[in-house]
Amino acid sequence: MAFTVTSDEKNGIARLTLVGELDASAANDFRTAIEEAAGLRPKRLVLMMGGLTFMASAGLRTLVFAKQKMGANVDIYVIAVQEPVRETLEMTGFQHSVIMLDAYDAAEIEDL
Amino acid sequence: MDPLTVPGTLSSLEPIREYVRAAAALSGLDRRRGYRLELAVDEIATNIINYGYQRAGKTGNVEVRAEIHPDVLTVILEDTAVPFDPLRVERPDQIDLPLTDRPVGGLGVFLALESVDEFRYEYVDGHNRNIMVMKRMAA
Repeated sequence: MAFTVTSDEKNGIARLTLVGELDASAANDFRTAIEEAAGLRPKRLVLMMGGLTFMASAGLRTLVFAKQKMGANVDIYVIAVQEPVRETLEMTGFQHSVIMLDAYDAAEIEDL
Repeated sequence: MDPLTVPGTLSSLEPIREYVRAAAALSGLDRRRGYRLELAVDEIATNIINYGYQRAGKTGNVEVRAEIHPDVLTVILEDTAVPFDPLRVERPDQIDLPLTDRPVGGLGVFLALESVDEFRYEYVDGHNRNIMVMKRMAA
């Protein structure tokens, strides 16, 4: 299934919605979206992952890039990640560096 | 299953995953273990394509072949790229680091090796052969 990423930004919160399969051939699209989001200097980055059915290490690499590009004080939220992708994030220790929520929680995320 | 031969380019990753998904379903792997095999094959195929072929200035195919045995499902990736044994890659020491302090990359082979029940590598007659094995009945 093809990968798509759509973006919006509101009140300092950059939100990317990832759908499909994020493999090495799709990672450039994700990276471009991260670069564009970083250009807006957001306070938080929210990744909506409910529709992401596959993520290879190319996606992990882009998450590392996002954290380093945006800076340590920009929290990254991973929302509604599917179980197999969650397992990959946990095998590689990413759960310590991103905030994983089951659903978009406006009260927490938008409280800047 | 009949083998699938695709060109050594990143656009081949999706058909390779579809083939592995079909093999996992046929052999009765549950969704979680099927996904892990799919991830492992995808990571190794990505390495073959990116490093074994493209960065080495070579072109060639990747063949993927699934063998459904009574106890195990074996998926074999075979290519004529630069010889590369994933088992010789050092385990990354970045897993415990915050993302701010990590190198960008270096997790693909680790994920592949961690995700399957058994991993073997052979180099025979100019061919890399990466062999990934999943038990059909999880212990």
